[in-house]
Amino acid sequence: MAEITFEGVTKRFGSTLAVDDASFTVRDNEFFCIFGPPLSGKTTLLRLLLGLDRPDAGRILIDGKDVTDIGPAARNIAMVFQNLALFPHMTARDNVCFPLVERKIPPAQIAARLSEVAGKLHITHILHKHPGQLSGGERQRVAIARALVRDPAAHLMDDPISALDARLREEARVELKRMQREAGRTLIYVTHDQEEAMSVADRMAILEAGKIRQIGTPTDLYDRPGSAYVACLLGAPVMNLTAPGLFPGLPGAAQVGVRPEDLRLNPDPAGAAEVTWVEPLGGYTVLTLKAGEESLRVLLRGQPSFAPGLRVSLSADQSRLHHFDAHGQRLAG
Amino acid sequence: MSAIHLQNLVKRFGAFTALKTMDLSIADGEFMALLGPSGCGKSTTMNMIAGMEAPTEGRILFGERDMTTVPMGRRGVGFVFQNFAIFTHMTVRQNLDYGLRMTRRPKAEIARRTEAMAEMLGLSGMLDRRATGLSVNILQRLAIGRSAMMEPAIFLLDEPLSNVDAAFRAVMRTELKSLQRQFRQTMVYVTHDQLEAMTMADRIAVMDHGVLQQVGTPLEVYNDPANTFVAKFIGSPGMNLLPGRLIHGDGALHVDLGPLGVSAPLPGPLAQAAGRSKREVIYGFRPEGVQLAPDAPLALPLGVTERIGARTILHLGNGDSAVRAVFQASDAVPAEAILRFTPDPTSVRLFEAAGGNAIRGA
Amino acid sequence: MTHPVNSQKDGAGLGFRLTLPAQILVLFIAVFPLLMQLYISLTDWSPLTGATWPQAWQFWNSFANYADLLTDDRLWAALGRTLFIMAVCVPVEFALGLALATLFVDDFPGKRIAYSILIMPMMVVPAVAGYMFFMLFQSGGPVNDILSWFTAEPVAIAWLSAPNLALVAVIAADIWQWTPLMFLILLAGLVGVPDDQLKAAALLGASPLQRFITIVLPRMKVIIIIALAIRSIEAFKIFDTLFIMTGGGPGVATETISIYIYKITTQDLIWGYVAAVALAILIVLSVAAIWAMKRMAR
Repeated sequence: MAEITFEGVTKRFGSTLAVDDASFTVRDNEFFCIFGPPLSGKTTLLRLLLGLDRPDAGRILIDGKDVTDIGPAARNIAMVFQNLALFPHMTARDNVCFPLVERKIPPAQIAARLSEVAGKLHITHILHKHPGQLSGGERQRVAIARALVRDPAAHLMDDPISALDARLREEARVELKRMQREAGRTLIYVTHDQEEAMSVADRMAILEAGKIRQIGTPTDLYDRPGSAYVACLLGAPVMNLTAPGLFPGLPGAAQVGVRPEDLRLNPDPAGAAEVTWVEPLGGYTVLTLKAGEESLRVLLRGQPSFAPGLRVSLSADQSRLHHFDAHGQRLAG
Repeated sequence: MSAIHLQNLVKRFGAFTALKTMDLSIADGEFMALLGPSGCGKSTTMNMIAGMEAPTEGRILFGERDMTTVPMGRRGVGFVFQNFAIFTHMTVRQNLDYGLRMTRRPKAEIARRTEAMAEMLGLSGMLDRRATGLSVNILQRLAIGRSAMMEPAIFLLDEPLSNVDAAFRAVMRTELKSLQRQFRQTMVYVTHDQLEAMTMADRIAVMDHGVLQQVGTPLEVYNDPANTFVAKFIGSPGMNLLPGRLIHGDGALHVDLGPLGVSAPLPGPLAQAAGRSKREVIYGFRPEGVQLAPDAPLALPLGVTERIGARTILHLGNGDSAVRAVFQASDAVPAEAILRFTPDPTSVRLFEAAGGNAIRGA
Repeated sequence: MTHPVNSQKDGAGLGFRLTLPAQILVLFIAVFPLLMQLYISLTDWSPLTGATWPQAWQFWNSFANYADLLTDDRLWAALGRTLFIMAVCVPVEFALGLALATLFVDDFPGKRIAYSILIMPMMVVPAVAGYMFFMLFQSGGPVNDILSWFTAEPVAIAWLSAPNLALVAVIAADIWQWTPLMFLILLAGLVGVPDDQLKAAALLGASPLQRFITIVLPRMKVIIIIALAIRSIEAFKIFDTLFIMTGGGPGVATETISIYIYKITTQDLIWGYVAAVALAILIVLSVAAIWAMKRMAR
């Protein structure tokens, strides 16, 4: 296991700047998430780390060693691809053992590793089948098993669970987190699902158009976003951004942000806002409010009875307000 | 505008039964979600409503008219495919007016209606552009607009948001819902994402393995699930379900949950209903209903903690005695290895151990 | 790989280097003979002169051969006949192939067997096909017998001896042998049309014919161009079957451009002229093909 460092890495494809001066360090045994909207450079970063592409500037270090000029085979990184890339003509067992057979590991060791990994991922009963006979979820686990069976410096995963049903995704991400903890591996994980990223990551990097905007623990990024961009990427429903007025803004604030769960409502015939839509989601309820020109969303626990048309007054704790300047950057305070 | 009635609908593919005796009525102007995991028969049901598949048994009525044998081009339904099926070799305009052109409407009328639709959907600027390389957001609007041009009484959508990345999905859901309220069409929406169904639907039809499990409003299926499948499928996360035995103690009915401990007394109406059932039951409660207290009757070791923004999800125990508890991010969570907890009594539900049906109070 | 490749740039370079041996071979096979042909076409050389071909410069007559071919009536007649055969065969094969392909898109019982039977004509050696049709179109042969079923008196048309009818027989043979090729190519194209777009079109009220014209054909455009281009070029070069059936006869009634070149090469041995004719055809054909494909791809 090893530390992975990117120093000032830049990559262009033709005239497009795919990765712009990326610098970050992934610590040993860390579950590190790379998160951002589509085409923000996430997959390019992975490819650079794997060695499939060469940076135009900067260095990549694995465990202190400069690997920028070293090819993928020698970098000792294992990857699980988005489309899984399972060999269709081999059984699941042969797929999982493939990396070890390639490296001429003795059969006894292969068998031991296989049974360990297969047990952890609950695929022992399907090892004899071919990928074509497996369900989507089973194929995913076989692909992950194939990556886990090696002992590389780090694992890379590019959006491995997005193709699963919503319910399976929720369970899969907890399983992945548990596996990573137990196995003690460094895992770099790319996703565009903010809930997934916050759930699994020890730390995460947020990308925008090739630049790393902020790095930190999910809680740090959620509670203290450095920019309106980061603030709106994390959290569902999205943070409410209003012009100062409805809520007091610090001097210099062009926008005041408040998360839907931080808003307090009281029915008030003279209130500033009106309920326009109620979404009952069972464990919680999302209200859409109109306050003058602004549209806001509120997240309430349980199933309170608010009906459309009700006038309410809004308030929020000062400490839960976020202030951003005209450039979208966070104002201290 | 029209109601849909599915009567005794069955679909078999050779030896495999995709849909077993489905009875469902969808009201005029209603947004009905067909919700279930992959392979539950929801897409098959929708394909039969559209006319792309013929039922093996049963009837499909739109209002009073029996549509079971009417070919798919004549049913007056709009259909949005999972990958939108936009005609990429034509322009945006040609996609929008395709239906009107094929049914030979007058040219002037076609032009007028196309421009009105494009205006409403914000596509006016790209009418004469080829329909390739468009963003998913635009594709969705184009797919809906194309079907809406034919002014169908019924709109069918087959998991249209499953190819959209998570961030966009929320935006598109809102758009879709407001489009439905605008057109006031009867809409049937197939999805495997319960959050999507809860957000958008007037009523949800929960399906599993070809069988309709329950039909109700989002709050009905959430608060009063008909069986363990619905209880587990609805909610993020789904209901906690633990096997247990009914026992009597200090004049009240409790559930012995084995390694977790013995539950608090069951509330009155539930205890009455339970009194008539077998001893083996399944004890269910929502993750949001878990209360932590040092003297609470149940206990489990704490595993993973998920902090996902506004909520914190605690994973307690594992396997058959796995429990998930959801708290607000602002709630304090003790950092102990073993947590003592009990569910809020109003959130407790009981199900029969055999078959999983709900045991309901009067 | 020991070095990370800059996948876009280096990939192309590697490809070039790996195919260099093949490129050199193709250069040798294609370009060299072309230059040789050009050289000879500017002379009046013939093997009867006793000189070897590198010494053909001795008989230099610059563009005289090209001038001659412009006034060669027999050449132009052969060209006309060839174009006529093309104009009949290719569209008929296309239409038949397309019709058959639409039948094979969906499954039906016995599809595999029907498929094998359908592509058998293509597998037959063209010369053998020529002989088959030679026999079929004899005065006392099966074609006349079948025609006799529909007429009052027995039919005894001498197909291959009648100048106009011989062409009919030749065209029939070509259609029989090469429709399966069109069928295969067009079936591949048909299968590639996205099914859900067809369903979407049906749900919007399009009839099967409307779906065919507005969705299937446009999406098959590239395949159709390829099929027509391949078949047209081959039809232009028609030789084996025709030669066995009629030898270009009766007289010159079925003499196509290939047969004409064959005859003046082997019988008259005026190879300088032959080279000029062949080169001229090559240039015209290439220009026509490129023009046609550019127009169709629009």
